[in-house]
Amino acid sequence: MPPPALTTVRARTLFTPLDAGGRADTVTRRLANAIRLGLLLDGERLPAESRLAGQLGVSTVTLREALATLRTMGLVETRRGRGGGSFVRAPDDADRLERPLRVLSLHELRDIGDHRAAIAGTAARLAADRALVSDVTTLREHAERLRGATALTDRRRADARLHIEIAATAQSPRLTRAEMDLWSEIGDLVWLPMEGRDVTPAARDHDLLIGAIEARAPERAREIAERHVAAETDRLLELRLSLHRR
Amino acid sequence: MTVHATSGPAVAGEGGYLLADITAAIGRVVRSVTEVGAAMTALAAAARAGRHPLRRADLATLRPLVAQVLARHRGFAAGAGVVLAPDALADAPRCIDWWWADRGSGPGHLEVDLDPASAEFYDYTTTEWYREPARTGQPCVAGPYVDYICTREYTFTVSVPMVDDGRFVGVAGADILAGEVERMLLPRLSLLGRAGRPAVLVSGNGRVIASSTARILPGTVLRSPGSSTAAADGLPWMLVGGPEQAA
Repeated sequence: MPPPALTTVRARTLFTPLDAGGRADTVTRRLANAIRLGLLLDGERLPAESRLAGQLGVSTVTLREALATLRTMGLVETRRGRGGGSFVRAPDDADRLERPLRVLSLHELRDIGDHRAAIAGTAARLAADRALVSDVTTLREHAERLRGATALTDRRRADARLHIEIAATAQSPRLTRAEMDLWSEIGDLVWLPMEGRDVTPAARDHDLLIGAIEARAPERAREIAERHVAAETDRLLELRLSLHRR
Repeated sequence: MTVHATSGPAVAGEGGYLLADITAAIGRVVRSVTEVGAAMTALAAAARAGRHPLRRADLATLRPLVAQVLARHRGFAAGAGVVLAPDALADAPRCIDWWWADRGSGPGHLEVDLDPASAEFYDYTTTEWYREPARTGQPCVAGPYVDYICTREYTFTVSVPMVDDGRFVGVAGADILAGEVERMLLPRLSLLGRAGRPAVLVSGNGRVIASSTARILPGTVLRSPGSSTAAADGLPWMLVGGPEQAA
């Protein structure tokens, strides 16, 4: 199966079609900027050529020309065979990952935190009320996967899955969709302050939360989930503020 | 599928009809997806006999059958298709060929991320509807559960195992929205509930599928059911006389 279209907000903003007649160098500049800004992460696989060309509104010939230039710039690497494709090679730049954070104000970050706490808190409360033994087993599997993940993308994915599963355990399609939308919007940001940090406290939160769901303690589950989101929001706010102190 | 309901006092007669109706409706979908599964198994057998690799492109011949399933169960089955066991195909380590019902512009193909290295990777081998038929060799009615991949709604998935020459090659299945099942059940459930005790249909693990009272909501778990139950034959569901209503 070909790699899917990027689904996150950054992909939607990044890949809005270019004007008709968009040329290879426009595509090159746009992709190079996206990589330098950290909108496309190191090691990330680009969608298949035909699909990416479609998303950018250019022909595959134009796209190939742009990819060739990006390859010579060292920003894209193409691998052949099974699991192959074009991969992002981000320049070695300590600030790269933090750039997406710069576009968000403290007010916006606080608001995102409030929204996440509302969704995650309610999902946790209802999950504790409605979970079956098999649901708890599934949640534990996802927590275990997160514990075993080392790369930032793997952690982000496992963390998102765990929280989406909790919302699904609440038996609410709406809360699940809300959790999915939130993670696709801010998932990359959540793990940003965790680069190189000890992840044991987050893992402990998850264990406590699953424990409360298993114990059918709705209020405790809600409290833990809200505290967990608040701690993540605090770390993001700290990081956002620190960008000005440098 | 047949039903022999051992009805308790609160679910006599009408309860048997209710179980027979829903079992028959779901049984029809199971039969339809079994046809799709048989066609897929035939493809696998032909590839094995001809010693040629089974490829993604071969699945195209199943599509008319899948479209037929969706047309036949229009308004009931929200999606259908086949999901292959890892490495069942020569040119795709994992494969989902799943279609959702026509929403005005023809059936839509489900696009999911099956690359384990990707951030949105969907590991279907851990789902109940995949794992159960693989384990038991029997059809499965999974759910109700929040299907955040395909329907994005509260859903049941019926699935049947596909086995070629003793080798599990995947499942054929269909999604049924929980709302449609409830629509079918509610008139009779309400009738049953009038006896002064609520009537509740639960899945094998106690999850409420439909209920005659707002006090016991679909999606919640009935942890202390009343004494009278009637089991559906062929479905892991039970009709339960709910706890006595507090006067």
